[in-house]
Amino acid sequence: MELKSCSNDIVIFFLNSQTDIGPDCCHAIDIITCNYWPAMLTSLGFTVEEGNILRDYYNASSAPSLGGLTVIYQPQKDLGSFCFSSTSQFSVNKCKKSAVSKKIVSVMAPQQSERRPATTGSVKNAMTLTEKIFSRASEKPQLSPGDNVWVNVDILMTHDVCGPGSFGIFKKEFGENAKVWDREKIVIIPDHYIFTSDERANRNVDILRDFCMEQNIKYFYDIKDLGNFKANPDYKGVCHIALAQEGHCRPGEVLLGTDSHTCTAGAFGQFATGIGNTDAGFVLGTGKVLLKVPPTLRFVLDGEMPDYLLAKDLILQIIGEISVAGATYKSMEFVGTTVERLSMEERMTLCNMVVEAGGKNGVVPADGTTFKYLEDKTSLPYEPVYSDEKASFLSEYRFDISKLEPLVAKPHSPDNRALARECKDVKIDRVYIGSCTGGKTEDFLAAAKVFLASGKKVKVPTFLVPATQKVWMDVYTLPVPGSGGKTCSQIFEEAGCDTPASPSCGACLGGPKDTYARMNEPMASCLSLQVCVSTTNRNFPGRMGHKEGQIYLASPYTAAASALTGYVTDPREFLE
Amino acid sequence: MVTASSISFGANSTFTSSSIPKTKPLFNIIPHSLKFTTGNGRAAVTFQRPVSVIPKATSADSRATKEPSRTFHGLCYVVGDNIDTDQIIPAEYLTLVPSNPDEYEKLGSYALIGLPATYTTRFIDENETKTKYKIIIAGGNFGCGSSREHAPVALGAAGCSAVVAESYARIFFRNSVATGEIYPLESEARLCEECSTGDVVTIEMAERRLINHTTGKEYKLKPIGDLGPVIDAGGIFAYARKTGMIASRN
Repeated sequence: MELKSCSNDIVIFFLNSQTDIGPDCCHAIDIITCNYWPAMLTSLGFTVEEGNILRDYYNASSAPSLGGLTVIYQPQKDLGSFCFSSTSQFSVNKCKKSAVSKKIVSVMAPQQSERRPATTGSVKNAMTLTEKIFSRASEKPQLSPGDNVWVNVDILMTHDVCGPGSFGIFKKEFGENAKVWDREKIVIIPDHYIFTSDERANRNVDILRDFCMEQNIKYFYDIKDLGNFKANPDYKGVCHIALAQEGHCRPGEVLLGTDSHTCTAGAFGQFATGIGNTDAGFVLGTGKVLLKVPPTLRFVLDGEMPDYLLAKDLILQIIGEISVAGATYKSMEFVGTTVERLSMEERMTLCNMVVEAGGKNGVVPADGTTFKYLEDKTSLPYEPVYSDEKASFLSEYRFDISKLEPLVAKPHSPDNRALARECKDVKIDRVYIGSCTGGKTEDFLAAAKVFLASGKKVKVPTFLVPATQKVWMDVYTLPVPGSGGKTCSQIFEEAGCDTPASPSCGACLGGPKDTYARMNEPMASCLSLQVCVSTTNRNFPGRMGHKEGQIYLASPYTAAASALTGYVTDPREFLE
Repeated sequence: MVTASSISFGANSTFTSSSIPKTKPLFNIIPHSLKFTTGNGRAAVTFQRPVSVIPKATSADSRATKEPSRTFHGLCYVVGDNIDTDQIIPAEYLTLVPSNPDEYEKLGSYALIGLPATYTTRFIDENETKTKYKIIIAGGNFGCGSSREHAPVALGAAGCSAVVAESYARIFFRNSVATGEIYPLESEARLCEECSTGDVVTIEMAERRLINHTTGKEYKLKPIGDLGPVIDAGGIFAYARKTGMIASRN
């Protein structure tokens, strides 16, 4: 009813190209703005343009200098941006104070910073971080979990295992001569089966190269000399770590990859998830994907992190709590004081194993730590989003981290959680420190810390596989705190570990038979099966090679401690 | 198989005949042998060769000419919970590129080879490349783990038509729908505890039920859900073309 007082004003404007807005209309705008704006106007039949005219006029009229406004009418293309900023609290008084009669000659939505619904917070329905990313990426101001929407993709990543298949589908569906949707938004990272003599594996890297050359893909981290990884200046290594190190992960964006651990990038406050070849082929051609908006599970981790715990323990705790299907089709949001104090690499470990709980994606809201990390890595602009205070979460889990103890996931499931100290009688045959989960710089620094504290040698073969070239360099150059200037590599050598290997995914997923550190034999002795403590992400049967291999998932601290004793060992044995 | 043909007379009086292919029969039963056994006062019928109601399209043309399969019939293979994609197709076989027809077939020959020794019956017999089990019955969280699309592709290439699981991991479910290789159906009950490998089952999608002929029991299936339109269209590309998201081919 209020608003009808404006109808006349608007009609007169369109008829005469000018009008005066009366006090009734002014008052109406005030009430509507504060309470009912978006839905009401459109439901009353006002177009977005008309709404914007009213709003922008009012904005201009509260400004000190006024006089006649001269603007030109221009229809808004983006229908999503018709929400008011929550900061523009209009008051009736303003209306009454000013001389009400204003002349509008013609009207245009003035140049202003785009009002993204995601950041204004004034949208009628509060949204979670993930929902906001979907909202922006699908250009829908309003959406709810369960909605299926077409989403614009910011980055698509693929590697040597899934790239060839994805390209095959792309060409089949879009044509042999089709071009990718955006040569700068595709990142091709060979990393899975690299240092092997398997001909098909080697051929697959060649297929990546051919496609990249043909499509002029900007980011292709190529490798040609398999005998010496350092001879390949472009080669990086494990895709998820390379994406972060090369600045491809940015808050608020949508990142897809043909790999389940693509969720790692959620550590940057973006939506990141794994897809298959067919979806990837589709994205290659269109830059879009059909996704269902996931509801969000919130994990509040508070408390001071004890110095014998790492992010790996946190995520093992959570997976053990909710099970391997506990987060299926859901987003996992990690907040709390503990999370805020985690480094980027630790946040990556946390988000990395979201898929092990069935999660669609994991997110850590971007903050100072994120921005600092990104400073020297990307110059592309980004806009973080955050869950509204009143957003709905499916469930909330709270953990007091100060009370947690080092954990393992026993064979054969990532949710088979147990205290490390309760497994101290489990004799082991090898330790593997590597992968996107536990092969980053900080993971190796952590392992080195334990070896340093012990001063002894490992009792079992200890395999070290840095995730990327950069991590390898760090292992060989960064001084380990408290060691008097020794590098990780020196400490590892003194402890009797294997020499750090060429960076790649390595044996995390088994791979071709000649993969370094692959578990090829089932038996350790005539009586016992091979047991490995690993900083990787899965321990299903056959994950690292032989079906009967027993894999205990653990943090780098726990893995190093176990290497030193030859049994599954709580790192407090050495760290306290 | 009888094909109708028509004969027309050309201007120069030579016969030309064009055969109009008869519509494929709904039932294409090729029983190898029938065995009647009685046990527990019930007659059981076992077929030695799988019976297929609708011939399954190959991956190559599954997107182009997808016949909506409303019924599946054959032997079932039963697995438990949390069968991850490493068990469905171990990583060492991922060097095979699924979009390459030869490698597609090879991939199929390794389907479910990663199952531990507790599964005494193999999904694909030794020295065979195709499975005799058209339908897989599974527990919860089927297809968890890696996003490898090789997993549903291997199952489809091996000759599996449908999976009836208690629940699915999302990437596997998505990949099954996107590729059109297998129908991912969900049961209301825990069928992995009700059925045994080798049971003869029929799935009627329209009626949303599974009939186990060996035990004589029937079970309800859940509706196909949100991705129904995508499956019906024939996969994500067909759906996108249908809804105008991408241009039609040629």
